[in-house]
Amino acid sequence: MSGYDRDESVAVIGAGSWGTTLARILGDNGRRTLLWARREDLCREINESRENRDYLPGAELAPCVEATHDLQRVCDTCKLMLLVVPSHGLRKLAYELGGFVTGEHVVVHVTKVIEQATFKRMSEVLVEETCLRKIGVLTGPNLAKELAQRQPAGTLVASRYDEVFRRAHAALSSDYFRVYWGQDVIGAEVGGAFKNIVALAAGVVTGLGLGENSKALLLTRGLSEMARLGVAMGAEVLTFGGMGGIGDLIATCSSTLSRNHQVGARLAQGESLQQIQDHMQMVAEGVKTTGAVHGFATRKGLELPIVRAVYHLLYEGGTAPRLLEDLMSIPTGAEFVALTV
Amino acid sequence: MRPEDRERAQVESSTRVVDHHVATAGKNPREYLEDLVGDTLYYERQRLEREPRGDARTRADTAFYHKVQRRLRHASNADLRELLEEIARRFAAEVVGNFDERVYKLTTTAVPAGLSVMLNAMSPRRSGSLSSLGAGLSGHIQTQGETDHVRDLLDRGTLVVVPTHSSHLDSIVLGYSAHLLGLPPLLYGAGLNLFNNPLVSFFMNHLGAYRVDRKKKARLYKDVLKEFASVAVEMGYHNLFFPGGTRNHSGAVEQHLKRGLLGTAIRAYVENLRAGRPKPEIFIVPCTISYKLVLEAETLVDNHLKETGKSQYIIDRDEFSRPRRVLNFMSDLVSLDGRIVLTFSKPVDLVGNEVDRQGRSLDPRGRVVDPRRYVLSDGAPAHDAQRDMEYTNGTAERIAQAYLRDNVIMSTHVVAWSLFRMLERKNPHLDLYRLIRTGGTTPSLPISEVAGEVDRTLLAISELGTRPRMGSDLEQGDTLDIIADALRYFGTYHTQPAALRRGDRVFPKDMKLLYYYGNRLRGYELGRQLAERREETLSP
Repeated sequence: MSGYDRDESVAVIGAGSWGTTLARILGDNGRRTLLWARREDLCREINESRENRDYLPGAELAPCVEATHDLQRVCDTCKLMLLVVPSHGLRKLAYELGGFVTGEHVVVHVTKVIEQATFKRMSEVLVEETCLRKIGVLTGPNLAKELAQRQPAGTLVASRYDEVFRRAHAALSSDYFRVYWGQDVIGAEVGGAFKNIVALAAGVVTGLGLGENSKALLLTRGLSEMARLGVAMGAEVLTFGGMGGIGDLIATCSSTLSRNHQVGARLAQGESLQQIQDHMQMVAEGVKTTGAVHGFATRKGLELPIVRAVYHLLYEGGTAPRLLEDLMSIPTGAEFVALTV
Repeated sequence: MRPEDRERAQVESSTRVVDHHVATAGKNPREYLEDLVGDTLYYERQRLEREPRGDARTRADTAFYHKVQRRLRHASNADLRELLEEIARRFAAEVVGNFDERVYKLTTTAVPAGLSVMLNAMSPRRSGSLSSLGAGLSGHIQTQGETDHVRDLLDRGTLVVVPTHSSHLDSIVLGYSAHLLGLPPLLYGAGLNLFNNPLVSFFMNHLGAYRVDRKKKARLYKDVLKEFASVAVEMGYHNLFFPGGTRNHSGAVEQHLKRGLLGTAIRAYVENLRAGRPKPEIFIVPCTISYKLVLEAETLVDNHLKETGKSQYIIDRDEFSRPRRVLNFMSDLVSLDGRIVLTFSKPVDLVGNEVDRQGRSLDPRGRVVDPRRYVLSDGAPAHDAQRDMEYTNGTAERIAQAYLRDNVIMSTHVVAWSLFRMLERKNPHLDLYRLIRTGGTTPSLPISEVAGEVDRTLLAISELGTRPRMGSDLEQGDTLDIIADALRYFGTYHTQPAALRRGDRVFPKDMKLLYYYGNRLRGYELGRQLAERREETLSP
C-alpha cells in the first residue's frame, strides 16, 4: 500500500447532508478533511460551530474537518476527493474542477442520477469535463440521517482502478461504516439512479394503503428491471445483488421520508406532479430519472414496464390506481428471464 | 535499429525480463523458475512438432530445447536462472530486427524502382506494363489527415503509430508513405512468416522490422517481445504497432484492440521519466489505411467465416505469398487508378488525451494538462500494472473511435454493403452462413433497386453520429456511376467478380467478397439507421 493510504488529506466537495455526513466519517477516522461549499457564510458557520446547522444539525464535526469555499486550495491540498453535489450542478462543477485537478487526483462521486439531456452517467460527465481518469462511484444503502448517528452501514466503491478503492477504503472504513469494492462502475451508477424510480413507485404503493407483500413484489420486479437496464448499458448482473442494487433499493424504498417516496405517496392521494413540485424546494431525482430512462428504453426497444407505468403517471396524466392496474397486468413468466438479457 | 542499439536492446530486454521473474520468484525461487522454464519447453516443443522438420531453424531450436530439458533435470537455483537467461537471450536475438538507417534511406528512395525491378524479375512477360509501376506507386497512395501535426511532434517525443490492419501491404505502404511525409523510419513488429516471403523480406529487413512469431505461445517469449518494444520506444525509435493484432479477417474496422503491445508504451514512458530522459513524451498516432480492393480479401474472409466463434489461427499461405497475385494486384492498382488512402488521426497521449502541435496534452475542454501526473505514485513515477492496463484500455477506446471516424469508405464498400443487405432482406429465412454459402434465391437484382439501396445507404451514412470519411470516388458522378465504378473494380483483380452487371440487372457472384467489403461499414449502427429510415418511408 502506498503512503497515501495512511494519512492523506481528503476533500469532500459539497456540504449538503450527505457531504457533511461523509466529512464527519472522515473526521471520526482522524483524516484531515477539507469540506468545500460554494457559500462562504456556510463555511464560516461550520468552522465556528463545528456543525452544519443548515443540512445536518446536531452532528458535531471533528476538529480535523475544515470547511472552505476555495476550490483551488482543495484541489492543491487533497489528491483524494469525494464529489457530493446534486445532479443538476455536477457538470458545471466538474468543468470548474477541471481547471484545478490533475491526472494524479482520485475522485469518487456519489451522485445517483443519469443526466437527462445526454443519458450520460456521472463518471462519463467527469471524463467529458476534466482530465481525470482515476474515477470511482460510492453508492449503497446510506441514509445520511442514520449514518450521522453512527449507526452501522455498508457501502460500495466501484472503480476500474484498484487504487481508487484502496484509497477510498482506507479513508472511509470505520467501526460503523463498511466499504466494499466492485469494478462495475456502470452497474453501480445505474443501480443508484434507477432505485429512485422504484422508490417513487413504492411511494404510490404506500399512498394507496397497500401492504408489505405489494411492496416486496414491486421491489423484486424493480430490481429485475434495474438489472435489465444495467445489462443493456454494459453492467454486470451480479452488481445488482449487492450494496448498490438491492441494498440501496431496500433502504430507499423502506424510508418514507425520501423525496421520491413522498412524491409517489402524494400522487397516490390525487395531487398532480405540478402541485407537488410547487411545494417542494428540490425536485425528486426519480422524476427526472424516469424521463431519461423511459426515453432510453424507447430508443433501444427495451421492455421496462415499471418505468413505463411510472412515466405514464408522471408525464401522461395517469393515475395511481391505473398505475397499479398497469403493473398487475404485466404478463408473468419465468422469473429470471429478465436477468439474462 | 542501429547496430549498437540492437545489442543494447537485446541485452536490456532479456535482462529485464529475467530480473523481473527472479524478483517475482522471491526467496524460494525453485518452483516458480522451474514452472517458467517448463512452460517455455512445453509450448516450444508443441510448436516445433508442427514445424517442417527439415527447416534449419527448426532443427536448431529442437536441439536447443533438448539441451534445456536435460539441464533442467539437475538444475540448481543458479542453473535455473542461467537457463532462463539463455532462453530469453535466444528469444531476444530473434526478435531484434535488422534495422539499418542507411539502408532504410536507400531503400525508401528506391522503393518504386526497387519494386518495379523485383516485379519485373518475377514476371518478365509483363515487364512492359510494369515499367511505369514504380513511378506510379506513389501516386496511388494518398496520405491525408493530421500529417503536419504528426510531423510537428517528431522532435518533441517518440511516436507510436497504430494503424488499422487489412493487408500485409500495410507496413510497406505505411513505411513508404511515412518516408514521403518526411517522417523518420518506423520500427515495427512483423510476423515471422513474412520474412520467409521472397518479395517482402527485402522490405521487412530494411524498413525497420523486428520479428514477431505468433506461433510462439510461451509466456517468456511474450514478455521478451513486449519488453523489447518498450526498450525500443525508450531509445527513441518511433514505433509502429498494429493494435488489432493480426490482419482483420472480416473486413470491418477493428474495434477490439489488443492491449499487450500498446501497454508497453506506458512502461516506456515511466522508464523515460525515471531515467530523466530529456524528451520523455510518447505520442500515440492512430492511422487508418483504406483499400478499395484488398489483396488478401478472399483468404481473409474465408478464414473469418471458418473461424467465427473459434480461436484464431495463423494463415501461412495467402495471396501475399503468391508473387503473381501481388503482381496482378499492383498492376490493377495502377491501371484502375485505385487509391490506398492513409489517414492520420489526431495524436493522443498515453491516457487518451488529445495532444496539440506543441506536444502538450489537453483535457476535453482544451486545457493543458501534465501527462506525468498520471503515472505518479507517492510523488514519483512508478509502474502500476493494474492502473496502466486501465489507461491502455481507455487509449484503445480512443484509437477505436478514431478508426471509425477516419475510415475512408469507397464505392466497393457501399455497393457491397447495399447488395448484401438487399439479399439478406430477400432471404429472411437464411442465416448469414447459409446465405453466404448458397447466395439465396435471388440470382439478380434490378439496377434501379440497387441504386435506390445505395442512395439510402449513402444518406444514412451522412446522418450517422459517428461516421466514416467518404472517398473521392463517392463524390464524383451519380449513383449509377458509383455502382459502375465498384463493379469495374470487382471485375478485375479477384478470382471471380464479387458482382457484375448484365443489362439492367446486377448479379451477385461472390457472396463472401460482398460480405467482406460491406463489413467495412459495420460498427457504425448503420443497420439501425437504415431500418429507422425504412420505417419512416413505409409508414403513411
